[in-house]
Amino acid sequence: MQGPTEAQTMQWDEEGYLVFTDAIENDELRRLQNAFDYWANQCKPDWLERVERGEQEATYFDIPNPIEKDEIFVDIVDHPSYYGCLRHFTDGEPMFLGEAVRVLPPWPLSYTGWHPDVPHTNPLHIKIQIYVNDVDPGCGEFAYVPASHKRGAGPYTRPLFQESMPGHRRFAAKAGAAVMFNAYGWHAAMDNHSLIPRKSIILIYEKRSPGQVDAEPFTSIAHLCTSPERRRLFSLEE
Amino acid sequence: MVRIDAQVHVFAKVSDAFPREADSICPADREESIEKLLAEMYAHQIHQAVLVQIGGTGLDHHAYLLHCLATHPDRFLGIGLISPNTPDPEAHMDRLAGETGIIGFRLFAIGGPRDPFAPMAVEEFDTYRIWKHAAEKDYVLWLYPQAADAHLIPYLLEVFPQTRVVLNYLGICPGKGKLSWDEKGRPHIDTSRHNPVGHTTYRLNRYENVVAHLSGQYAFSREAYPYRDIAGWHQILLNCFGSKRLMWASDFPWILGEPGYGPLTNIARELMPDISETEYDDIMGETARRFLRFPHLEYG
Repeated sequence: MQGPTEAQTMQWDEEGYLVFTDAIENDELRRLQNAFDYWANQCKPDWLERVERGEQEATYFDIPNPIEKDEIFVDIVDHPSYYGCLRHFTDGEPMFLGEAVRVLPPWPLSYTGWHPDVPHTNPLHIKIQIYVNDVDPGCGEFAYVPASHKRGAGPYTRPLFQESMPGHRRFAAKAGAAVMFNAYGWHAAMDNHSLIPRKSIILIYEKRSPGQVDAEPFTSIAHLCTSPERRRLFSLEE
Repeated sequence: MVRIDAQVHVFAKVSDAFPREADSICPADREESIEKLLAEMYAHQIHQAVLVQIGGTGLDHHAYLLHCLATHPDRFLGIGLISPNTPDPEAHMDRLAGETGIIGFRLFAIGGPRDPFAPMAVEEFDTYRIWKHAAEKDYVLWLYPQAADAHLIPYLLEVFPQTRVVLNYLGICPGKGKLSWDEKGRPHIDTSRHNPVGHTTYRLNRYENVVAHLSGQYAFSREAYPYRDIAGWHQILLNCFGSKRLMWASDFPWILGEPGYGPLTNIARELMPDISETEYDDIMGETARRFLRFPHLEYG
């Protein structure tokens, strides 16, 4: 497990994000894509019914309980491509909160406006967005405002048009790329002007803090968590 | 400042002069007259209102609405009803609108693919001709579609950016099987606090020709007036749309028994206590006056 380089640490501190171009590749990427497509296909009818009942958003579709569906959705949580950085930035105390295995249908608008996830009163909150298919410019790519994670940055307001956000950077990339970002910072998905759905996985972590540890969501994968490091990451051990 | 109630319903007993469809909520012998509405408005300093058709989509069903608009042309504007299945929607719209005071039409459906991943051919949507004619004639579209239709709206807004659109009832679109009627004869829509459909309709703030109603709280809340459990939805709408694109409405007559017309005129202050006087004036009338082009009325 490799920690961040000096350049990565500086980039993380100053800009609030890191890009891992080939985080998942080759057979592992194909395994991820196959599992994603299989379960998306399996779960879609139920999602459509829930949309019709007004119980779920129509603008994105998350595969429910992914870690219980395929081991690959567990393996990417502590993937060596980025886990060393994650561990370093959380002072060795990363805690996994959840995973959104998400597909965005083409829509004239982005499914979400610019926003930070948590205020600075929250423990450090980190997300990793992994592209499962190629995401070209204008195809719903993830975007981030560099340095907006810093305390006292801004003020920022949500513009009507995604592209109007001052200073933002867009992350079009090939399948298998991952963007790690500090979720104090402002981020969004850009509009998707193509007819191609965007497939991605959003991994959600926090720096471990007393009172936040909850093993219940992960007891069903305890058999996959055999190392002390992983058991602690999934809150299965104090 | 002008005070405008941006959605009310009035109807007469069924008669030859005023035919309409009857149901358990609006039986043939029930009436909620324009005089009753005017008394409430007068008592609570509400100057003007939008009368929204109830009792059927047929041309003859609109008789009482047209009568009220003709009798009080400076006080009311009207919204008619049209079914997506109307064979000649353009003729239907033109016969009802124009000099009558009817400025637009309410839609309960959009009529396109339910699967958001399906190809979207807008011209094939059931209501495409209605939208097109509204765009050509400057009619307002009053939207209260089902949840399954909410994602279709922006496709039409992209094609018809000139059409004025009003999202009813906080932008909420009822889910299938979620409508019931409470013991007071009011509609109740079972909606989670997370409000998934809101995540679709709030995004429509991108389109400057779209405004939203602050109304119908009684139908979504699980609490008594002032419905504080849904205060957050109001704040989100204010953040997304701003006061110049929000309109207060009472939804008379459903609210007469509980909580009463008077308390509802205070709902914006109750649920958004931090808004400025200007924002309050926008929500309580200025937005409706400007967006719907209400006639000037001497009041005071």
